[in-house]
Amino acid sequence: MIQLEHYLYLSGLVFTLGLCGVMMRRNVILVLMGVEIMLNAANLALIAFNKYMLPIDGIVEPKGQVFVFFTIAVAAAEVAVALVIAVALFRRLDTVNVDDVANLRW
Amino acid sequence: MLDFMFIFFASLALLGGLLMAFHPNIVHSAFALVAALFGVAGLYWTLGADFLGATQVLLYVGGITVLLLFAVMLSTRDAARISIARYALMAPIVGLLGAFLVTTGKALVPIVRAAGGALGPTEPTTEKIGNLFMDPTAFMLPFEILAVLLLVVLVGAITLARRGEEDAA
Repeated sequence: MIQLEHYLYLSGLVFTLGLCGVMMRRNVILVLMGVEIMLNAANLALIAFNKYMLPIDGIVEPKGQVFVFFTIAVAAAEVAVALVIAVALFRRLDTVNVDDVANLRW
Repeated sequence: MLDFMFIFFASLALLGGLLMAFHPNIVHSAFALVAALFGVAGLYWTLGADFLGATQVLLYVGGITVLLLFAVMLSTRDAARISIARYALMAPIVGLLGAFLVTTGKALVPIVRAAGGALGPTEPTTEKIGNLFMDPTAFMLPFEILAVLLLVVLVGAITLARRGEEDAA
């Protein structure tokens, strides 16, 4: 029987995979994909917790799902702006490698 | 049946995530991302979140991936390269974080379980979510702020994407 902890393990694993993508890949767009996967892992944990929440007066309000809806909307906004920045970066500097764009690093 | 669905969608999400992180070809990575996101949508359905599963498919699988692919086509010239030295450097960090997440999850389970909550029969959640959005005592203000945010993002993205005067000449 699948329980809450299975969802949490899976969420942690998927989050770690997203982190691998963010830290190991050097393409801006792939880093962005890693961020998306990490957001999804967090959303999964939120929904799983919501499912196993203590009911108040016998009903569980899907508040966790509302949070996830907000996360999805904000993530979509983030992707739109970030991709435009990636394209602008390529236009200006002719690269999408994050190591080549370290001007603001220190 | 639910167990089978969990295993199916979980492996879809994990395999998709693995391929996304490690495939050298960025377009293949993007398609692996589709699989991973669809797997997560399926997991939402196993948790009874029907509305969010549909939102996930529409927004992520349908919208964001297309945007990503367009950005790839507009920007990437050569196949993305991966450096092995970076793997070696990052492996302990990633491993530690994974261990931390699993430990935290394990620690949280008894707390949530003590709070009650068993898997009941699932019912549609769309109406409840809609009521929460339109309830002034619940999430109405965040919902309106979100609408403004999306407008700002639209305008901002168009402004950023326009070629500057020097490029147009």
